[in-house]
Amino acid sequence: MNSSAPPWRATAWAPTSTPVASQVSAAPAYIPVQARRSLASNKINHLPSNGSPAPQPNMSAADEAPRPRVEFPPAVRLYVQRCFAPENQVASVSHSEMQEKLRHVITDAAENHKLDMIDWERLALPQVMIQNERNKILANPSVSNWGMSSLPSSPGDTGRKRKSTDTNQQQSGKESPPWRKANNRNRFEDRVTYPSTEKKQRMTLDDSSKSKANLEMRKKRFEGVGYGNSGTSSPVDSPSRSVDPDQGPVVGRCQTLEKNYFRLTSAPNPDTVRPLPVLQKALDLLKKKWKQEGNYTYICDQFKSLRQDLTVQHIRNEFTVLVYEIHARIALEKGDLGEYNQCQTQLRVLYAQQLGGHPTEFKAYRILYFIYTRNWTAMNDALADVTAEDKQDLAVKHALDVRSALALGNYHRFFQLYLDTPNMGAYLMDMFVDRERLTALAAICRAYKPDVNIRFITEELGFESDEQTARFILDHSSEDTLEEKHGSVRLLTSKAAARFEQAKAEANRIVDIKGQI
Amino acid sequence: MELANQFRRAYSTASGPDLAAVLTPIATPNNPHRLHSFYQFTNIQYLNKDLHTNLFHGKSPKVPKPEQNAWVDIFAAYWEAVGEVLKCEDRHPGSSAVAIFTAWKKLANALIRGYSGSSGLPAWTLPCLYTVGKFLRTFAIKADVEAASQDSSGFGFQDDLSVEVEKNANLEEAARIMNRMFTLCLSDRAPIEESRKWGIYETTNLLFKTYFKINSVGLTKNLLRALNAQSDDLPPLEAFPKSHIVTFEYYVGVIHFLDENYAEAEKHLSTAWRLCHRGAFKNRELILTYLIPCHLVTNHHLPRKELLAPFPRLEQLFGSLSNCIRKGDLVGFDQAMSAGEAEFVKRRIYLPLERGRDIALRNLFRKVFIAGGFEEAKDGQPPIRRTRVPVAEFAAALRIGTHATGRTRVDTDEVECLLANLVYKGLMKGYIARERGIVVLSKNNTAFPGTGV
Repeated sequence: MNSSAPPWRATAWAPTSTPVASQVSAAPAYIPVQARRSLASNKINHLPSNGSPAPQPNMSAADEAPRPRVEFPPAVRLYVQRCFAPENQVASVSHSEMQEKLRHVITDAAENHKLDMIDWERLALPQVMIQNERNKILANPSVSNWGMSSLPSSPGDTGRKRKSTDTNQQQSGKESPPWRKANNRNRFEDRVTYPSTEKKQRMTLDDSSKSKANLEMRKKRFEGVGYGNSGTSSPVDSPSRSVDPDQGPVVGRCQTLEKNYFRLTSAPNPDTVRPLPVLQKALDLLKKKWKQEGNYTYICDQFKSLRQDLTVQHIRNEFTVLVYEIHARIALEKGDLGEYNQCQTQLRVLYAQQLGGHPTEFKAYRILYFIYTRNWTAMNDALADVTAEDKQDLAVKHALDVRSALALGNYHRFFQLYLDTPNMGAYLMDMFVDRERLTALAAICRAYKPDVNIRFITEELGFESDEQTARFILDHSSEDTLEEKHGSVRLLTSKAAARFEQAKAEANRIVDIKGQI
Repeated sequence: MELANQFRRAYSTASGPDLAAVLTPIATPNNPHRLHSFYQFTNIQYLNKDLHTNLFHGKSPKVPKPEQNAWVDIFAAYWEAVGEVLKCEDRHPGSSAVAIFTAWKKLANALIRGYSGSSGLPAWTLPCLYTVGKFLRTFAIKADVEAASQDSSGFGFQDDLSVEVEKNANLEEAARIMNRMFTLCLSDRAPIEESRKWGIYETTNLLFKTYFKINSVGLTKNLLRALNAQSDDLPPLEAFPKSHIVTFEYYVGVIHFLDENYAEAEKHLSTAWRLCHRGAFKNRELILTYLIPCHLVTNHHLPRKELLAPFPRLEQLFGSLSNCIRKGDLVGFDQAMSAGEAEFVKRRIYLPLERGRDIALRNLFRKVFIAGGFEEAKDGQPPIRRTRVPVAEFAAALRIGTHATGRTRVDTDEVECLLANLVYKGLMKGYIARERGIVVLSKNNTAFPGTGV
């Protein structure tokens, strides 16, 4: 067989006298059945070259293990003990898999008379070996090819590498019970919706409280999105989902431009994921639709699914930035700050990778956003992010000036800046401008006596007209604070002071927005 | 074996610190080979047996069997970790910071098991927990650095925010283990004399440090909440060792500080400052870094020269800024702020320091008031200061030092706005009569409260 097998195969699998430890660590396969083939060949010396004797080595291994004549040194026994110690169990490796591997390691060592030569204390546990091998397979797909298929592989097989990975995951997935997998860190869930670890905890809690039926429903809905064959290949019903959290990106096959957003509850199905060229067309379509129809609910939903498709395919380039930027701007325009903040958070990471886009524009938004949410810890971080170069930028400078004007209570300057806001910052400033008006009025009422012309307030606090000013004052105080005198309306400051103080306190309660980092 | 002798000595005198010294994975100056000799005294095959013999046989004090086993487990894990440390020191191929961290994690887990299990290690051994926790943190940081340097490919399998998360993966794992240490101490129900509750603040400090490092200051709130819920069962703060309390109060102060809760922050930081050891230069400097801005905001006090003198770094941070505030030099203040901005922002003290501008402004306007002189004294009466000051005079003061180009010129409305703010914040007493363009200040030396005029 050795002569018929390709050379790389022979080196990997031929029984040699290399130390077991190194052989094991170099072994690319992780299916125990595979591994045992080397054992069998060790015994029988030559295997039938069609390479299909899976059950056969199984038996031989079982025969060998209990052979009484092998005296196992204490180090080996300790090693076995450690294998079974509960704290050393790995969720993604099932008990039987581990045992197989263990048996292989020991019998191999015994066969080669290496029992005393191996540093058992340092030798990786079988479950760790299995994991390492899996990782290696994932990191180097070409390895996976011959490591997994039980048939002798040919170079032409490389094109099918993804498939072979999939089948294998399914196999191993069946082995490990679902409650084990629950412990696994599910990265897909992380990626899909949760912007930060803190959030994640909250959301997970949320999830558990939801009824199972709900979850089922969502799953069904998701499956419903599948175009064409959502049958056997659908990862939704394969149990392998979180067996390997490090699985690589999905490559989409969906050609439909529009797609509704569903929060993923399992690994994405390539059939419902759109590849980059389709996504690019989809974005053009969405831009057109937004201009024509302006239906925010629809657009937001579409953008979310767009983002999701990018995420699950690990697409991170200029286009990704573009999608997030456009979604962020639309969300801003519509005052959907939760959605805006999700985009902003992602954009920050994307900008850090220098993928282009408009980093300063969004840095400015970020500062304004934290003014609105009054999140000082985050503001500190945002300030630390601003470089000297950024400060040259008009929008960043504006945002920084806004911040410092507010910090010093300089409402005069603040409202000058408000009336002259670059980009779409005004949408953000609109969110807190009334709050700052109340703050300013509280100060004005304390400082001016006995009254001030309402005209002055209109000009100072950026109102559009005296009527608007009067309405604002009346909304937050009472009629008796305004008085007509010498042909002008005047605000009686001492009467109104307490009212505005109260209104200010209410407006300044911390803003809590969903999706905030 | 020397380590074993140390262990026995510490155990017979029930000295926690001595015991913790045994578990410190660094060589001491007077015994540079202590780790080597410990590692070489046995091999993996006889490890447990040798440990048993060395730690507990002979004339050692009677230690219950389960406790003995716990220590053997702990020292076995320690032995392995020391092996990894030595490998790293000798630049042995295959050595790595991650391997050290992994081995040290085992030690931490063995120790936690020793406390929580039936073996029930006594509470006086808690310093071991601190030491092991401390090195868990350092080794995790080193492992993260190592992982970052190896994984420079940038685009791995991560997605979204995980870039930042992965950066601290090991330290986060360490934090989870430390959290178990925290619970171990907090939930101990033994009578207080022999309770692990005495370790609660030190383990909290460990977690504080870690959370600050991984930029999750928010998580500290959970700890404080847990502590608060248990506060009835805890001994009073004063009963704990000062070293625990100083660090704890410092962190609690900084946490409030970051929330702009300066009054509360000041309280805790002052306690830390008061209790801090004279010789702990670095710690005193750290406390002052936050306490000084606190004082500036809460009661407008500036640091005296004598206070800053021993701390050149603080002198550099706050020196010129305080001078400008004292003199009411706004231009100088703005310059000092922008000169120190990078450092201020990094230390998260920019926002409170910025508020010093109000004090500088107050001092400047106070000068205007004093320069205004006195009203004509009515016969017999003591002279009264001129309390009606035109807004234009304040505006003139603001223009001092600024270049009177169009851009920087201050208009009257802005001057009024600044005046209104000082009045509103209680730094100035009086009111603005807008139509007449004057400020009417309070009489009887209360125009600028707390400054004598």
